[in-house]
Amino acid sequence: MALIDLDKVGLTFRVRTYGRITFKEYLVKGMFRRRATQTMEVRALDDITLRLGEGDRIGIIGANGAGKSTLLRVLAGVYQPTAGRRTVVGKIASLFEITLGFEMEANGWENIGFRGYFQGETPRTLRDKVAQIAEFSELGDFLNMPLRYYSAGMLVRLAFSIATTIQPEILIVDEVLSAGDLAFQCKARARIEQLFDHARLVVMVSHDLQSIASLCNRVILLDHGRIRQIGPAAQVIATYEQQAHAPELKAA
Amino acid sequence: MVAYLADIWRLRYFWSSLVRIDLRNRYRRSVLGIGWSLLHPILMTAVLCAVFCPLFRIDYRQFAPYLLAGLAFWNFLVTTSTNGCHCFFQGEAYIRQQAAPLVIYPLRTVLGTAIHGLAAMSVVLIFTWCMNGFGNLPALISLVPSLTLIFLLGWSLALCFGITNVIFQDTQHLTEVLFQILFYLTPVMYPSKLLAERRMDWLVRYNPLASFLELVRVPILEGQLPPWSAFATALGTVLVLMTAGAIAVSRLERRLIFYL
Repeated sequence: MALIDLDKVGLTFRVRTYGRITFKEYLVKGMFRRRATQTMEVRALDDITLRLGEGDRIGIIGANGAGKSTLLRVLAGVYQPTAGRRTVVGKIASLFEITLGFEMEANGWENIGFRGYFQGETPRTLRDKVAQIAEFSELGDFLNMPLRYYSAGMLVRLAFSIATTIQPEILIVDEVLSAGDLAFQCKARARIEQLFDHARLVVMVSHDLQSIASLCNRVILLDHGRIRQIGPAAQVIATYEQQAHAPELKAA
Repeated sequence: MVAYLADIWRLRYFWSSLVRIDLRNRYRRSVLGIGWSLLHPILMTAVLCAVFCPLFRIDYRQFAPYLLAGLAFWNFLVTTSTNGCHCFFQGEAYIRQQAAPLVIYPLRTVLGTAIHGLAAMSVVLIFTWCMNGFGNLPALISLVPSLTLIFLLGWSLALCFGITNVIFQDTQHLTEVLFQILFYLTPVMYPSKLLAERRMDWLVRYNPLASFLELVRVPILEGQLPPWSAFATALGTVLVLMTAGAIAVSRLERRLIFYL
């Protein structure tokens, strides 16, 4: 059973507008006002109502800063919504900013352990998967090296291999199809397709409209933190393309 | 509550492997390795003994184990608190990746320092054993609950300092100053009897940290069970700090990420 239910979800970030406050300001403002640090509110998500269920393959598209990654993090439970309600049934695995959360001093094998254990694996369940991960990453002897010495592409290979070998019920991915070199991209795409077949519910963010069109059955178009359109891939992508070309048309 | 604890347990392989890598990183390319955390209190003790034994007119056989035990506890306390300030920043990448109980990050800190603390404690035991003979076994067994209390003290301190530091970043500097001050207010390197002679024993009586020192010192140095009052004070302190930590976590568990 896999289910994600968002009911009128909103998320407002409070961002400190400047990093340093002097002690004098702190004292003065602290005495006369309630809040000493000046904050700016950013409404990242607004009034999002979604019901995703078994078998859904959801693509999220939208311009930079539309709230795509924030929405994924809310779905994954990393961010708690500041308004509305979020209900999730099922075990989630998420694949965000892929190189995040590696211990750079440890070698590849050890990092497979950290990542795996973090997602709730035990040494026993992980044992069989380690070989698969190593094989898929094609890193070979580099796995014995501390991650400090890895190139960006190698890190991506490792992260991708770990995250996709553990088979979740709900898979949440952020822009991973551009991982690694060309050969690895083909492999990664095949792996993602395979994951799409196995996971019960998938949500992905991508700027690669072609893969969105071929992988997803429903697409969400986000615009300034709101859902602008939700529906079949072809239709929503058409709206998105129109929106992207609108400034050009206006200029012409 | 139970579900929360179960979650911590479910992730036990995660935080324990992080502790292991922390230990290894700390002594990467070091010849002595963990020997450094043993050597440090021994050297300090040697120097302090050379200065204070003649000054206080105390026998070094008494004073050296007294100092070693005090420094072992104090070093644990200070490193746990100062490292604890950074625990959530250290785990930021994981916090941004997936929702997991926040207390595992201070747990990572305190487990690391506790291993060093245990090593230092075993030095104290061996040292005392060599100098003054093997102590009283039941008294030594009382160290088990005492050290558990000290561990919980460290965990809740790391948690409280960690959370405070995320919201108010000057905490890390304040912590250093605070413990520097407390070091002189707590009978770590001077005998507490000296205070009683000068009518300054209130300093010890109202200082909860002095009770923890008693819990460690009395069984090792005097071969007796620590007084119940010390145990009660220590337990009370730990309970207060744990409650404070629990309240902070329950209020900030899901919101801390916005401050990182």
